[in-house]
Amino acid sequence: MKLPRFPPALRPPGFRRLGLADVAILCLLGGVIATVVAFAHEFEAPFAQAVRIDLRFSALPRYTLYSLSRGVSALLISYLFALGFGWAAVKSRAAERLLLPLLDILQSIPVLGFLPGLVLGLVSLFPTRNVGLELAAILMIFTAQAWNLALSFYGSLKSLPVQLRDACQVAGWRPSRTFWDLEVPAAAQGLVWNGMLSMAGGWFFLMVNEAFRLGNRDYRLPGIGSYMSVALDRGDVPAMALAILAMIAMIVCVDQLLWRPLVVWVEKFRLDESGGGGPVPSSWVLEFLRRARLPRRVALFQQRVFRRARRAARPLERPFRAVGPVILRAPRRAFRDAIARKIGAGLAAVAIAAVALLGAWRLWLLIGQLGWADWGHLLASAALTFSRVMGAVVLSTAWALPAGVVIGRSPRLARALQPVIQVVASFPAPMLFPLVILLFERIGIGLGFGAVVLMVLAGQWYILFNVISAVAAIPQQLKDATAAFRLPRLARWRFLYLPAAFPALVTGWVTAAGGAWNGSIVAEYIEAGGTLRTTRGLGSLISEATTHANFPLLAGGIALMSLIVVGWNRIVWRSMMEWARARFGLVQ
Amino acid sequence: MTPGAVLLEAQHVTQRFRLPNGQVLEALRDVSLAVHENEVVALVGPSGCGKSTLLRLFAGLAHPDEGAVLYRGQRLDGVLGAAAMVFQSFALLPWLTVADNVAMGLEARGVDGAARRDAVARAINLVGLDGFEQAYPKELSGGMKQRVGFARALAVAPEILLMDEPFGALDPLTAENLRSQVVDLWRDPATGVKTLVVVTHSVEEAVFLAGRIVVFGSNPGHVREQLENPLPYPRLERSPDFEAMVDRLHAILTATLLPEPAPAAPQRLVPFPRVHVSEVTGLLDHLLTRPDGKGPVFELAEDLGVDYDRMSAVVRGAEQLGWVITPGEIVQLTQGGRDVMAMDDAARKDATRARLSKQPLFARLLAMLREEGAVEDEEVLADLTIYFPFIPVQSLFDTIIEWGRYAELLDHDADAGRLSLLGWEGAAEMRAE
Repeated sequence: MKLPRFPPALRPPGFRRLGLADVAILCLLGGVIATVVAFAHEFEAPFAQAVRIDLRFSALPRYTLYSLSRGVSALLISYLFALGFGWAAVKSRAAERLLLPLLDILQSIPVLGFLPGLVLGLVSLFPTRNVGLELAAILMIFTAQAWNLALSFYGSLKSLPVQLRDACQVAGWRPSRTFWDLEVPAAAQGLVWNGMLSMAGGWFFLMVNEAFRLGNRDYRLPGIGSYMSVALDRGDVPAMALAILAMIAMIVCVDQLLWRPLVVWVEKFRLDESGGGGPVPSSWVLEFLRRARLPRRVALFQQRVFRRARRAARPLERPFRAVGPVILRAPRRAFRDAIARKIGAGLAAVAIAAVALLGAWRLWLLIGQLGWADWGHLLASAALTFSRVMGAVVLSTAWALPAGVVIGRSPRLARALQPVIQVVASFPAPMLFPLVILLFERIGIGLGFGAVVLMVLAGQWYILFNVISAVAAIPQQLKDATAAFRLPRLARWRFLYLPAAFPALVTGWVTAAGGAWNGSIVAEYIEAGGTLRTTRGLGSLISEATTHANFPLLAGGIALMSLIVVGWNRIVWRSMMEWARARFGLVQ
Repeated sequence: MTPGAVLLEAQHVTQRFRLPNGQVLEALRDVSLAVHENEVVALVGPSGCGKSTLLRLFAGLAHPDEGAVLYRGQRLDGVLGAAAMVFQSFALLPWLTVADNVAMGLEARGVDGAARRDAVARAINLVGLDGFEQAYPKELSGGMKQRVGFARALAVAPEILLMDEPFGALDPLTAENLRSQVVDLWRDPATGVKTLVVVTHSVEEAVFLAGRIVVFGSNPGHVREQLENPLPYPRLERSPDFEAMVDRLHAILTATLLPEPAPAAPQRLVPFPRVHVSEVTGLLDHLLTRPDGKGPVFELAEDLGVDYDRMSAVVRGAEQLGWVITPGEIVQLTQGGRDVMAMDDAARKDATRARLSKQPLFARLLAMLREEGAVEDEEVLADLTIYFPFIPVQSLFDTIIEWGRYAELLDHDADAGRLSLLGWEGAAEMRAE
């Protein structure tokens, strides 16, 4: 027997029915609007060098919200970039061939070095308002967030089952519909997880982005990073502690209010239906929100508005539909024509080559000003920093590999520690650098070795995360087998845990080394308590060149660092990764 | 219903693919096939014969490199609006409900509002999914999911229904049930579906559904034979006429799958079938249990629970080693085969070694190794690509290594990517490097 199905009864609107959750939503909404307005105000504020930073506690919430707004704006831009990039790279083979290597390079070079150029350019575009400086800060955060998002989206699109694509095509979906209803949902999980990583990565250079010196000019934006840097300048220890606490509070709030709910929500967009093996993530915020009635009502209202709008727009639709094809006919025909397409592609290639050549020429002019002595200096510094980076990788591995194996082996431990580690890892390590260095000075360790420890702080988490997830993914049967054959503890590590973790360890090394190179720029050149401490190295060379506005040296340093990082990635890490996958990969 | 005018037509269609390793595979070569109104056409053949590729060409999802696909005499340009498709893996969007999935094709066809709701409800009712409108695909069993797949296709009231192994991912019981429903749907004028094209792996399925069965051959894919199937609907699988038809199709397929070896050119290089050692010994073991050590290839496939093109590959492997012969569609164990099964493991390896050394492809490879000591994988792969342009050579290479290792002929160093003769003195040194 078929039971009659009724639509869920709709209650008449009225505020009496709204619950606690709705009140919370309204409050949150109000807070967001207030923040956006205040931030927009800040954007529009007249440009002033070295904004006075108020070190009182009462000013800190405002600063925190400013910094958060920058991070969120950058993340939104990063998402737009990722969608555009992934789409272009999947749809056009030429774009794929050009964009992928470009991204590969962009994500491995220290973008911090481009800050001076970016700031000067944007500030000269908006000389009277704060807009230029704000945009520069947002763009710098963007450069730390965008690349892995773009790669994740591209990867998801590439691995989309052909039959699903075919189904959408047979259904007659337009490309835009397929994009929003197939491609983006299928990539949603990767986009959210990578967004989480991106957000954390974006905070890394927060202090530098919000407060830095270029020559004799002092650029400063109100925010938690500049607050910290002013507190450091003045040696104000309570303010430093407050800044760190505020940062932690912000990270925890964003994690709980934004990422947790999103992670739970995107479970819905899982493509493989079987993958329910792991523990189902939960979010109290999402549970709470799901109880709210307001969103449902807003959705209903929105549907009604849309329907009205469509009805109202219908008279306009016909002329548009008639005109559209006429306008588009010529480009469409040109696009189909093989010769026209070839010419177009050729023109695009020439344009790209011209831009690249121009860039190379400008760079060459800058670098050409460097003498032999400068190059010797650069190379010697690079060798020093290189050994520090490697030292940092070794040191990080020394603690993170065993710790990762121990945590990954026990699901209980992993579940308990994962949120904690996530928050700790999101904390921008450079904010701690001055404190660590002051501590080292007490014990009598110089910056030469101290910088290695700082670079460990910058890179260690990637190794830990990767090892934990690799060990946690070891099939239970393998663990059972080692137990059944009574392998002694040492042998279990040697024959099971370490080999299984190795491919992930190499991936961790790549990112950790990248983090350490980036970190070297702020680790080898530190101002704390009003005094400057430097040690010889490529990072300090770059920082120094920035402060003294020595652009040829800056360009040379950045170019050299990019070359080393990209070359090392290509030659050493990649072959090591391939070997590790072939030899120790668990998937046969 | 009698076939009417030509609806869809492939004219001298050739389609090529580029594999990731740069090898170009010809999926179809010079294929011409017409599909008429009111008919059910089944495309059968070994895997890799391009039958699914042809289906995608009919749907307008791909366009042929050479030749043309016509719909009612018009060259197909873009996706064919008159067709709907059912996929082996269902291809449902997991984040849409059953109703939303069924409605997928309606929007683009300008069906809106109440008309869309009606069409969805009717399609869901046709496949018997009432009550599941708001369920998500992950809550449904495989058979239910494929019902959603059919409902999605039927909702747009297509003229032609294209089906790519629609029952391949279902368990036999569910498949049988759904199969007879498809025939009912086709015969029911309410659905509006007049023409079906189905790609299938199962001989019984083809005979059950189709009025015309098109047999494909592979390497490269081509139409080998067409078979009219005049049995009246609904068809009974146990009736003698049905079984006679199944046997006829079996015979044609056997001729396709196990062609009589050309007597001339004994030294012609033939690829070794991509089968495992254990599969061949398993076949011989099974043949030993049969009276006279023989049986028809399709019966063997059924008994051993593998599909027929896999079975025929195993048979061809055993045949190349001289352990079976295949008169017609019968597989007959030879004396050599009996002997080898009576041996212990070491002796069996020796016998395999002797046989393999005479197999032309292995003989050639061994000669090359004797001359040069060790050969890079890349080099062997390149040679294989030249000899066998229509076969994915990496898996052929893997098969060669497996058999070579089993017969203690070859030694392969996976780390260095190098192939050598077993016991070759250089191997130890090179490994020590």
